[in-house]
Amino acid sequence: MSVRLFLQVASVEMRKRMSYRVDFWINAFVGFAAELCIAWFLWQALYAESGKDVIGGYVFDEMLVYYVFVIIFARLVRGAEFEAHVSQDIYEGGLNRYLVFPASYFGMKYAQHVGGLVPTFVQTALFLGAWLVFTGGAGGEAITLTTVLMAAASLVLANLLYYAMSFPLHAVAFWADNVWSLLITLRFASNLLGGRMFPLVLFPVALRTANEWLPFRALFGLPAEALLGRVGFEAWLQGMAIGIVWLGVLSLIGRAVWRRGNLQYSGIGI
Amino acid sequence: MSRYARLYVYFLRFSFSRAMEFRVDFFFRIFMDALFYAVTLAFFWVMYRHSPFMGGWNFDQALVFAAAVFLNDALHMTLFSNNLWWFPIFVNKGDLDYYLVRPVSSLFFLSLRDFAANSFVNLLLAFAIVVWSLLRYPEPLGADRIALFAVLLLLGLFVGYLLNFIFLVPVFWMHNASGLRETYFGLSQLSSRPDGIFTGWVRRLLTSILPFALIVSFPTRALFEAEIGWIVLQLVGIAVGLFAVLMLLWRLGLRAYASASS
Repeated sequence: MSVRLFLQVASVEMRKRMSYRVDFWINAFVGFAAELCIAWFLWQALYAESGKDVIGGYVFDEMLVYYVFVIIFARLVRGAEFEAHVSQDIYEGGLNRYLVFPASYFGMKYAQHVGGLVPTFVQTALFLGAWLVFTGGAGGEAITLTTVLMAAASLVLANLLYYAMSFPLHAVAFWADNVWSLLITLRFASNLLGGRMFPLVLFPVALRTANEWLPFRALFGLPAEALLGRVGFEAWLQGMAIGIVWLGVLSLIGRAVWRRGNLQYSGIGI
Repeated sequence: MSRYARLYVYFLRFSFSRAMEFRVDFFFRIFMDALFYAVTLAFFWVMYRHSPFMGGWNFDQALVFAAAVFLNDALHMTLFSNNLWWFPIFVNKGDLDYYLVRPVSSLFFLSLRDFAANSFVNLLLAFAIVVWSLLRYPEPLGADRIALFAVLLLLGLFVGYLLNFIFLVPVFWMHNASGLRETYFGLSQLSSRPDGIFTGWVRRLLTSILPFALIVSFPTRALFEAEIGWIVLQLVGIAVGLFAVLMLLWRLGLRAYASASS
């Protein structure tokens, strides 16, 4: 698939996403505000009731900043996961038109996925601006150009990794009549093991060590830890390497499931 | 009343027979909810490794709360979730007409027609977790308190349903429901944490105008606290108030509804 076509598909998707502006602003603020509100009050209560100033190596301000970034990063990593329409294409027979296009289906869908991320980038810029204005960057003193670059590279990997995780689940639609619950299952598992619900350092050591070899940490925990300077360069490289290996494995699984499913695709939908 | 009961039995029969046609989805749903329960329990377990209390509750009390969250979620998914998912689509496609012309309450029909039989097993699982959490609770709770807890949980479920519907009714004017759904989903997360963590005006807001914090927390508090009169009164008052708001919005919405392509 040519770069030009990729960008054109992404651009069409971006304009589509931006066409519902009320939704854009609601999505931008309500979800973010609710999640941050829970994190704020939850950790305020936990710090007060435990009588500790530091939990898992985080003081309250740092804990809050971790949540700010992990909430934002989760949006950048997942994109509009339930609107990628891979399973929808299979159910409704919409895959037919893509099969006759002179471009790869996977490339087209990933271009749509990337285009769908543009509103999220705008939201990210707004949130980061608000964080800097209202807190003066409190809790993020360890952020440097190096940590920003490490986080950016981690986010690119995380986005591809999440897409590679969800693609085989979408492709299960060749056999099953509803894969929505599988996608939600992935969301639950990645929230807990990816560091979306709390910093992974809060897990007991044995669980934390085991989790480092799974693909989930690379989704949210690693980018946030890298940005906040909580992971050294070597440990970051190791985390990235594990993520890249998983990306390869999941891509192979996705390809195998897709090929198998294509063989029995009838083109008339379910 | 008996006509509505008979109608609901037909809804159940139809829903179960349809669920049995899609067996793979049936098992996926069980797996999904079982994982949701495991993830939530793991969250509370990890949090209590770092603090003896959360919002004034110890770990045993938080387990009862978490189990109540599961039961509330399972009941909502089984009774209302599918129906409320389809409601904005019916409005936009004009399919609401079919509900408005039936000789029964359109709200009853819209809210309860699709019983999610594929979530029913999870309802049993959630109920089992509630029983387990109550049995392992180290102090005696008393049958009267447990009965009150059960009644208030149902009232909390009703409040959750009313809030969900109220958040969707603006589809009559806005047409796109995606943002409305996101808003409700975002705010409903507030009900899955103990209300004791919230303080100040946010707490007042979440127990009055946007009463997400009382859906599960208030019934659970009724189990553990000595003074419960105010808890019951507030929950009943909020339910009545929200019902009145829903009826008002529903009437206004129907006036704005213009059938197909509304």
